[in-house]
Amino acid sequence: MAVTHPLDRYLRVDRIPTMWCPGCGLGIALGAMLRAIDRRIEEGVLKRENVGFVGGIGCTARMTLYPQFDSAHVIHGRAIPFALAVKIVKPEMKMIVVGGDGDIAAIGGNHLLHALKRNADLLVIMVNNMIYGMTGGQLAPTTPRGLYTTTTPYGNPEKELNVIKLAAALGANYVARSSITHPQLLERTIYKALAKRGLAFVEVLSTCPEIFGRHIGFRNPVDLYMELRKRIVVKTNPSIEESDYDWSRGFVIGEFVDKDEPGFLDTYREYVLKAVGGAER
Amino acid sequence: MRIEILIAGRGGQGILLLGHILGAAIAKYTNLHVLGSEIYAAETRGGDSRVDLVVADREEEADFIKVVRADIALFMHQLQLDAYESLVKDGALVFIDRSNVTSVPRRNWRVYIEPYTDIAEKEVGSGRVANVVALGHLVKTTSIVSPEAVEKAIAETVPKEWVDLNIKAFRYFLAR
Amino acid sequence: MRYEYLTGNIAIAEASITSGLRFYAGYPITPTSDIFEYLARELPKYGGHVIQFEDEIASINAVIGASWACSKAMTATSGPGFSLMLEALSLAVITETPLVVAYVMRTGPSTGVPTRSGQYDVLQSTYGFHGGLVIPVLAPSTPQEAYDLTIKAFNVSEKLRTPVVLLSDAVIAHTYGKVAMREKGEVEVVERSKPSVPPSEYRPYDPVDGLVPPMACFGDGYGVLVESLTHDERGYYSPRTDSQRKLMWRLYRKIAESAGQIFEYSSLYLDSCDVALVSYGSTALSAQVATKVLRERGVRACSVKFKTLFPVYEEGLAKLLEGVEKVFVVENNTGLYYRELRGVLKDREVVSVPLIDLDVPPPQEVVEVVSKWL
Repeated sequence: MAVTHPLDRYLRVDRIPTMWCPGCGLGIALGAMLRAIDRRIEEGVLKRENVGFVGGIGCTARMTLYPQFDSAHVIHGRAIPFALAVKIVKPEMKMIVVGGDGDIAAIGGNHLLHALKRNADLLVIMVNNMIYGMTGGQLAPTTPRGLYTTTTPYGNPEKELNVIKLAAALGANYVARSSITHPQLLERTIYKALAKRGLAFVEVLSTCPEIFGRHIGFRNPVDLYMELRKRIVVKTNPSIEESDYDWSRGFVIGEFVDKDEPGFLDTYREYVLKAVGGAER
Repeated sequence: MRIEILIAGRGGQGILLLGHILGAAIAKYTNLHVLGSEIYAAETRGGDSRVDLVVADREEEADFIKVVRADIALFMHQLQLDAYESLVKDGALVFIDRSNVTSVPRRNWRVYIEPYTDIAEKEVGSGRVANVVALGHLVKTTSIVSPEAVEKAIAETVPKEWVDLNIKAFRYFLAR
Repeated sequence: MRYEYLTGNIAIAEASITSGLRFYAGYPITPTSDIFEYLARELPKYGGHVIQFEDEIASINAVIGASWACSKAMTATSGPGFSLMLEALSLAVITETPLVVAYVMRTGPSTGVPTRSGQYDVLQSTYGFHGGLVIPVLAPSTPQEAYDLTIKAFNVSEKLRTPVVLLSDAVIAHTYGKVAMREKGEVEVVERSKPSVPPSEYRPYDPVDGLVPPMACFGDGYGVLVESLTHDERGYYSPRTDSQRKLMWRLYRKIAESAGQIFEYSSLYLDSCDVALVSYGSTALSAQVATKVLRERGVRACSVKFKTLFPVYEEGLAKLLEGVEKVFVVENNTGLYYRELRGVLKDREVVSVPLIDLDVPPPQEVVEVVSKWL
């Protein structure tokens, strides 16, 4: 009998191995996600057929290719409106948007901004490797100032975008940062985010040894992993101000916002149903 | 049968409402076909306001949305009478609000000229319904649509609290 | 059936409800906003959803998402908004997502004259997106046709699993007309075909028999894959020439081979015609009146109004205009659809009558241009 992995039942195993480079952090992130989802399914909080994955374009968005759930691998930056529409039509779905920092915060930035403002009932997981990996190492909105990229060959002159601050400012119910260097913490964070109403935003710091690591002198995946790990500061209840990061100062991870305000669907139902005075659907 | 109807006046005279009531009455409560278009200046009051209706008994004859040669015309103001009289053909039935028109061109028309605005103010109770007073005159004279159909269209179109006043205005000429 | 007096825009909104619309996403733009506003008020009464998104890009992507959650879905826009939607329309084509875009053309290019009309976007409506395929385009010229063709747009989209553009314009948008409204059961409403196999055997892009795959939705338990990459029947990325060929030709054929079924036109005097005035949309009204004027002057003219523009039904068109000596293509642009027709009707004279008018072109102008070429 072939050896099976405990998570195989959630995977399209005929698509494994993944397209990710050896040493890429995305496998750790996907593993943590699937373990968290599995726990929620085992608890009866989630139903397997009600889990939906949506991703745009990029290495992270290709996470949608592997899990055995309803999945959409759509166009660059537009996963959020797709996912929100599914959620509106089928509120029983748990819609999970996965994307890289470019997909979510650059080209998809306007959709993120409005999803946050709506407190849209989505789990948005932004894997931040601080670079455009799939296209070969160009500047990301999250690239720390000063670092080399192929489109900023003299160093990135711009300040890095701190999406945690944005998410907190615009009213998401749950805002957390985690890291693939701390997989158990990452799993716990996603496990918690899966049960939130409204918008849960989880930033996952990750490693791209092939592109990011190579450019900053840590091509060996283990070296880059350790470099990131030593820059991580785990905090309970960190302040929003502590979420700012740069490569030399390091990265604070933890829960920055955890509240339970009505989500988009709650307020949407309240207003629309009030107007028509009828039952839903 | 194919009839072109032109209704024109100044913004604020209720021209678009009048055109809508007439078009809706024809569309919903007769076997006739109708296409209609509206023209209005950007400013709500004072500019040109005009409704064109093309009415026909066969669908393919209701073939255009603008009046080219009007068979029936209603002018609520001198400015629009001057501006659009060339669109009205010889032999047309032309209704004119004497309250706002002092000079009628010499044309081979059948002219019905009545002080719709004065009647609305003095006999009906509000100058705002001069448009519907005129509509009553037009409907009575042309028989293009039944008065009952128009009254239904009025009830469906104007806000509830104004229905009675509009019906009263509409019946002014019909009762004479 | 009942009769109403509606504008072209409201006829579209009403017909979309009749067709089973349950999700509308939009962004305000002249001259379409009254479709949006009307549905915002009415659609929730039918259990449907109307959401204003942050831009047209979000709107069309939400429409795609809603369609994959099994809702009939639509958006409405005009030139600037449609331009923003093009990338996602390409996604809808490769993922075979049924949806309707009501495209109400206004004067362009760019901001142009936003409240006024034109037919400048007739080619963009089907060729605008990347990927070299065609999506069906239907073009009403009256509120009644706007109503009927909206229902047809939904039916074609569901049947062929494709986006469909309902191409109206600013004239039709605000023209009033008598509209025969169909009640439930009085008109065919097509629903997409669903898989007949259990989830373990389901392959989301396998057409089984024919060219259109049955469609499972999010939440159905089928583990659907919406895939923007070139994919095989399972929906798995397949960067191979044979996969690309197979997918492209199936996507091409399912539309091209339906051309005859989609094609719809109306005509006047076609049985006694030497000179045909071919037109579509609001300009067809001018061409119809011009035809009558020409006949009064003794010209054996006829008018042919296309209610569908794409896919071009080549055999049908050639046959339809068989006995006609000269074909005038009347349109409110620089002569765009003429370019499509001259290739199809290459055995006879095809003359472009390009008119640029902010409104419906005056019939007299059509008569004058055509008379010069007789």
